[in-house]
Amino acid sequence: MNYPIWIVPGIGGPWVIGIIAIIHIFLSHFAVGGGAFLALIEWIAYKRNDERIYTYVKSHSRFFILVTTVAGAATGVAIWFSISLVSPDGTGSLIQSFTLAWALEYLFFVAELATAFAYYYSWDKISKEKHLLLAKWYFFMSVMTLAVINGILTFMLTPGKWLDSHYWLHGVLNETYLPSLFIRLFIMFAIAGMYGLVTATRIKDEDLRVYLVKFCSKWLLPVFFLGPIVTLWYLSQVPQVTLETVFTGIQSSGVGNFSVLARALYLSLVLSGTVLLFAFFGPYLNPKGFTFKIALLFMACGLATTGTTEWMREMLRKPYVVYGYMYSNGIRKSQVEKLRQDGFLTDAKWANVNTDPTSSKQCGEKLFQYQCMACHTVDGYRSIKKLIGDRDQESIVSFLKMMDPKNDENPYKGIMPPFAGNEAETKMLAEYLASLKPKDTTQ
Amino acid sequence: MFIGKREKRKVLYWLERRLHASPLIELALHKRVPVHKHSVWYYFGGISLLFLMVQIVTGILLMVYYVPELASAHASILKINSGVEFGWFIRSLHSWGANLMIAVVFIHFFSAYFMKAYRKPRELTWLTGVVLLVLCLGFGFTGYLLPWDEVSFFATKIGLDISSKVPVIGDIIATMLRGGTSIGQSTLSRFFTIHVSVLPILLMGLLSVHLAIVQAHGMSEPSDFTKQEDEEKKYEPFFPDFFFKDILVWILAGNLLFALTMLAPWGIGPEADPFAPAPIGIKPEWYFLAMFQFLKLVPPMIGPIEGELFGILVMTIFAGILAAVPFWDTGESKLKSDLATALGVITVLFMVIFSVWGAMS
Repeated sequence: MNYPIWIVPGIGGPWVIGIIAIIHIFLSHFAVGGGAFLALIEWIAYKRNDERIYTYVKSHSRFFILVTTVAGAATGVAIWFSISLVSPDGTGSLIQSFTLAWALEYLFFVAELATAFAYYYSWDKISKEKHLLLAKWYFFMSVMTLAVINGILTFMLTPGKWLDSHYWLHGVLNETYLPSLFIRLFIMFAIAGMYGLVTATRIKDEDLRVYLVKFCSKWLLPVFFLGPIVTLWYLSQVPQVTLETVFTGIQSSGVGNFSVLARALYLSLVLSGTVLLFAFFGPYLNPKGFTFKIALLFMACGLATTGTTEWMREMLRKPYVVYGYMYSNGIRKSQVEKLRQDGFLTDAKWANVNTDPTSSKQCGEKLFQYQCMACHTVDGYRSIKKLIGDRDQESIVSFLKMMDPKNDENPYKGIMPPFAGNEAETKMLAEYLASLKPKDTTQ
Repeated sequence: MFIGKREKRKVLYWLERRLHASPLIELALHKRVPVHKHSVWYYFGGISLLFLMVQIVTGILLMVYYVPELASAHASILKINSGVEFGWFIRSLHSWGANLMIAVVFIHFFSAYFMKAYRKPRELTWLTGVVLLVLCLGFGFTGYLLPWDEVSFFATKIGLDISSKVPVIGDIIATMLRGGTSIGQSTLSRFFTIHVSVLPILLMGLLSVHLAIVQAHGMSEPSDFTKQEDEEKKYEPFFPDFFFKDILVWILAGNLLFALTMLAPWGIGPEADPFAPAPIGIKPEWYFLAMFQFLKLVPPMIGPIEGELFGILVMTIFAGILAAVPFWDTGESKLKSDLATALGVITVLFMVIFSVWGAMS
């Protein structure tokens, strides 16, 4: 509410973040897991004194450097751009609360990049032991970047003691920190194996290709044997009310008995399971027949799984951006009561720009943009026009009033933030929303 | 828990004495798949089979709750969607599965066509495939009415009205399918019976023949592959190499079906009211859209012939020429071969352009 609004028609702002973030995660997870992959395969090359494996790891490191430091870094910066445009209040809050953590993250990231370049440019120029040591250092630095960012990401769902103390370490070392750290590490190893398959399937020497393809498939083992255990640990630490919301859902969120949350969870579980089957029937059982094109399809499967799982994790936070502290529309939970009494538009610094304060419909549109557009679009993704249906202004007012935070009967409680505006603003928003209804042309 | 080699041999011997399956096992073990740049199209037959299995299983489950009766059909689908545990899931799998199956069967059909897989000795494989495609469209047409909602009712009405224009047999068939002159309980009962018993029996019988002939002839080889020297030709064994890759493709196809089901579960429109006017812009399912759009564009009268009848005749003749392709493009004439390819391209372009046009208009 303290910044100008960015309107993205069709898919909406959150999906701009979502699309960039999903691609970035798939690249950045490779940046961490791939470090361990490089170190281990280089060690194997030395141990077996196999020049062919040595040549492979050299060419794989070129692919690794290009993917992680160019595409990975570019999407990382793009995330910052998109989150500051779509959710400036949330972004500002994270920067202010975790200044020291961000500084640490930056230091480890610079060290990670430095060791990555040193590693790549020192092939055949330093001793084997020193080169292998660089790979290990790179892996350590990349894990440290994960260790910091994992704290901030998990904080958003489980802020824990930070809610009372506002001490940054309480926020970082929260309840889901450790299970999330482990599960991300396992996923990173799996993704490193998938990327490894892309380069391994290009090898012409059949014996080596078969050996390396099978080797890469084994990188998926940790996530599938230990992943379910750690996931249960993670789920035991998240606010249990969010899990109840997933499984009970609300009828109007989707067709059938389950809300979109439950459907996303099922999709995530099934896609994860099929990645295991793919790895088993593909590179593990039939390494000879596992081609480059299939490896690319496998990557697409992995990307879809990553995307769905991250989407699911994000939705667990509903209706907050920082659980129990700030709603997804950037309004702090503690502000809601005041805004319901004094009004939202008087406090929102940019809401009155280019708005005629005497036009209730224009004010209603601004209220929609500031309070609803974090999740809805007018007629695209989660179209408000479609959701409003045939409702008139009066029934929309009743609907908005039902979303009173004190109303325990509100079925949308775990899904939507309350409307933070006074009586007059409720009517303005309702007037605008009712005006979106298609006009009856038969009359 | 584990049986030794001797016991295993005894079990296999016992089975062999009763099943005489060793020739089939031999055939499977010796089956090989040509490896070339068009090999990817070989997978689409298998994907069609996967979606068919999904249709059979989900169809049986839906029959447990579906009631083919005018007063209850729509309500029973509503109950499946919101009152039965995972009912929405099974129904969405069935509906999305049907659409994906028809799409994949079309791809399989045209890939066989462009690879000239219909030529001697595979004429019967081709013809059984053509009939299987028609049966799949029949499944789509009859299944579409069963939810008894507004769109399905009027789309079926339009479809039957159009088919009644076919000379001599059209009106008889339309009346038989409707069970009279208007769509009602008789139509619903007939469509249900055809959908769950007549078409499945025909499909299973014909599919068995189709698959048996495919096994007898082996995989078809495109002409640029057959022209290669024997030493240059590459093959891979069906078991286990191709089979393992088939499994990977099935996993991907299954993922696509599951993702569509989860992200866009199938809804249902308002209950059909036979006395209400047809809603504006009513359209058939996407696989009939090209034909529908073409018929919309034909003038009411062409000379002495009624426009719709003329359109149907043109499409029937064109489809007949395509279906009979193995008998006029035998591979002996380059001109005929090129003509067959050109006709295929025209058909694909017609279907894509007219379907998109129909969807957007």
